[in-house]
Amino acid sequence: MRQETTGFTAAAGPQRPPGTAGWLLLAPLILWAVAFVVAPAVIMLGYSFAHRGTLGGVVPGFTLENYAGVADPVYLRIVWRSIVYAAITTAICLVAGYPVAYLIGRADARWRNLLLMGVMVPFWTSFLIRTYAWVTILKSEGLLNSLFLQLGMIGQPLEMLYTPGAVVVGLVYTFLPFMILPIYSSVEKLDGALIEAALDLGAGPMRAFSRVIVPLTSPGIAAGVLLVFVPALGIYAVNDILGGGRVDMIGNIIENQFKGNARNWPFGAALGTTLLVAFALVYAWVSRRQRELAFR
Amino acid sequence: MIRTASRILAALALVAALGPARVAGAEELNLFAWSEYVPQSVLDGFQKETGIQVNYETYASNEEMLAKLLSGAASYDLVQPSEYTVEAMVKEKLLLPLDHAKLPNLKNIGKEYYGQPYDPKLEYSVPYMQGTVGIVVNTEKVKDPITGYGDVFQEKYKGRIVVLDDALEIVTWALATLGLGPDAVTKENLEKVRPILAKWLPLVKVYDSDSPKTALLNGDVDLGIVWSGEAAILLKEEPGKFKYVLPKEGAHMFIDSLAIPKGAPNVAGALKFIDYVLRPEVSRKISEEFPYTNPNVEARKLLTKEERDNAASYPPGNPKLETFRDIGPMAADVDKLFTDLKAKSGS
Amino acid sequence: MNRVHRLFATWTGVVFAFFYLPIAILVLFSFNESRLNIVWTGFTLDWYRFLFEDRGLVRTLQNSLIVAAATTVLSVVLGTAGGWLLYRYRYRAATVLETLVFLPMIVPEVILGVSLLILFVTVGLRLGYTTIVISHVTFCFPFVMAAVQARLAGLDPSLEEAALDLGATPPQAFAKVLVPYLMPAIVSGALMAFTLSLDELIVTWFTASAGTRTLPLEIFGRVKKGLDPSLNAISTVFIVFTVFAVALTELLRRRNP
Repeated sequence: MRQETTGFTAAAGPQRPPGTAGWLLLAPLILWAVAFVVAPAVIMLGYSFAHRGTLGGVVPGFTLENYAGVADPVYLRIVWRSIVYAAITTAICLVAGYPVAYLIGRADARWRNLLLMGVMVPFWTSFLIRTYAWVTILKSEGLLNSLFLQLGMIGQPLEMLYTPGAVVVGLVYTFLPFMILPIYSSVEKLDGALIEAALDLGAGPMRAFSRVIVPLTSPGIAAGVLLVFVPALGIYAVNDILGGGRVDMIGNIIENQFKGNARNWPFGAALGTTLLVAFALVYAWVSRRQRELAFR
Repeated sequence: MIRTASRILAALALVAALGPARVAGAEELNLFAWSEYVPQSVLDGFQKETGIQVNYETYASNEEMLAKLLSGAASYDLVQPSEYTVEAMVKEKLLLPLDHAKLPNLKNIGKEYYGQPYDPKLEYSVPYMQGTVGIVVNTEKVKDPITGYGDVFQEKYKGRIVVLDDALEIVTWALATLGLGPDAVTKENLEKVRPILAKWLPLVKVYDSDSPKTALLNGDVDLGIVWSGEAAILLKEEPGKFKYVLPKEGAHMFIDSLAIPKGAPNVAGALKFIDYVLRPEVSRKISEEFPYTNPNVEARKLLTKEERDNAASYPPGNPKLETFRDIGPMAADVDKLFTDLKAKSGS
Repeated sequence: MNRVHRLFATWTGVVFAFFYLPIAILVLFSFNESRLNIVWTGFTLDWYRFLFEDRGLVRTLQNSLIVAAATTVLSVVLGTAGGWLLYRYRYRAATVLETLVFLPMIVPEVILGVSLLILFVTVGLRLGYTTIVISHVTFCFPFVMAAVQARLAGLDPSLEEAALDLGATPPQAFAKVLVPYLMPAIVSGALMAFTLSLDELIVTWFTASAGTRTLPLEIFGRVKKGLDPSLNAISTVFIVFTVFAVALTELLRRRNP
């Protein structure tokens, strides 16, 4: 991941080619990746070139019509929308989550674990019930509207549910912990002395923060961004419920091909493969750059 | 931290271990059906009488069922397709013909269920539950008479409508307003439907196939075009507030049936189950839990007056009802049209 | 720094309120009389009573816990090993392997479900706990790996060197120096993996059998009929149990430091 900008060694570790022990240790990982990642990906790839079966399923063959279908503006518009929502969600999660991660990371050992559990426990309840709870909160006769009306802040109930805003709220709710946790583990290893030093040297808290602390935790931030943005691209349920089914994302489209009326598996596979290849290219490029930077 | 974690895991494992045990060795039947469509009491009753343990796996759409079936998954003895899926499966030779001799209770099924285009002689499927897709009106908010799709999709109801999130349904409704039936899904007709949907979709507030009653109960919408089972629950929950109307242009009558897929390991058990479900007193239990229209005329005689009077379960009068057909490759075009217009009308 | 610290503490309070608001509703509605779980009609304990009778529902929770526990353990092992090995060894295929590992995060769940199902059927693996855990681990362990990698970035190599100088063998250095250092990342990853597994729906649907139904499958199945409050009740019971377990272990820990 990103290079440190401090006195720590530039190299990311005593890198050397793996010996036999190294390969043995790597073996389970490689086997797993091949069996459960490569194999399904190959299946999906094969499907993307096949013909559509009448009942769903595929008829073996080779055609490029599925990929032609992907390039259709109807679907490109939805891909773009997914990217925008994922980006907004990631940005909000980052800004909202960083302070929380920082606090937990700098907290006393006895509070740390409790706070961490506190962050996660709400998400051990069923996703569906949690989301329907948001429906109860945001609907016209719901909690928030009743509160606002009572306080006299508004005259008419606000339309909060079944809007893009509701979808963003739901997305941020779902993904915030996945931004907090990786950043927390980066913050936790910050040297208190370093922060003291930054402050001693005359930097105000805001500058100490932005110039010293945030860059030091950049690996955690990068991990958080990865773990929020990528899964957010594929969501289908939160937006379906909170957006009233009006905010279709690429995840919904793909789902439709397999589980909805469309019964068009090859097209779904083509969409999936496109997403996958796009991700792989971007990720590989970013990862390569970071390795290069680390070993200059 | 490791100690904490291992203690928690140990506690969880203990809880997990104190679970209900499985009975091993009994004869089994693999039922693959719609979620929440087969009451536990029926499964328990069947097991008590025959000793056969029923493994009930569920799905939420015909396509889901087909997806798992076509992926070659565990052999199922029974599936529960809707009428147009039965038609498609028969065409693809995926269903076993039923031995009517082993189904003496088949006589309880109403005569009107024979002669339907998807399986006229009920050779491959036995109707389990029937329903319609119709209009629900919140009579407290909507005072004008609503008789059909045209009445629902008016500018004055903008943002107060919930419909099923189903491309085929919505396209069929539009076709009905043009005087065309569910067997008229062609490329030319889809182009005729396009402007209609372009006018309708921006008026919709919520698309929901899973639980459209939620938006109606919440008061977020005042009109809905939903499954009759959902409507029946609304009518039961808030009597007098909601009304169920079958659109005069023509309503979808869906028939969910039990069928035996090819390769079923326990055909004899499957036939026994179908016959068991056809018994009036058993079928009546199903109606009790799921207020759809019971195709079993003997079971209908056993219903309570309240159940029989529910206008959504048993619509009065002689409405225009049509079953869906298998539209084959047109499904992809239908989906694309819907996706396109939905995206353009929404956000 | 104190002012910033206080600001952050207040903000954290706001975020926690945000997290727990729907949970409060969820718990509240577990006492709701109306079966439809949409409007509040009255107070009742019936749903908790139903839980005792509805062995099926409780069993699905047990299945979910078993799967989540197994998934977390395997994910932590694979994720930590993966993160460490990718950091430690330089070889050309490193980027490829890393990208492969993260792919399941982007593959849409439907596709992952269908392709894994086909894989299992082809290989002849019966659907059950094994297949579910395999599918869960496949998309959970990248989360652990990402957290571990972030923690490893900027690790001072002299730490490990010192341990080796003082006579530790490489495995000992790993266990006694690296693992404690990585602990916050491992904990973060484990929490994420456990959470993801507990709530996983689509891939599980494709790779589960009737006997290994998990709670999300059960709950999703009930949407059409109406998510009755017994589902809220079981969620509440689970939260209360977890909070209780954590509080208990914390108490014990403080008694015996």
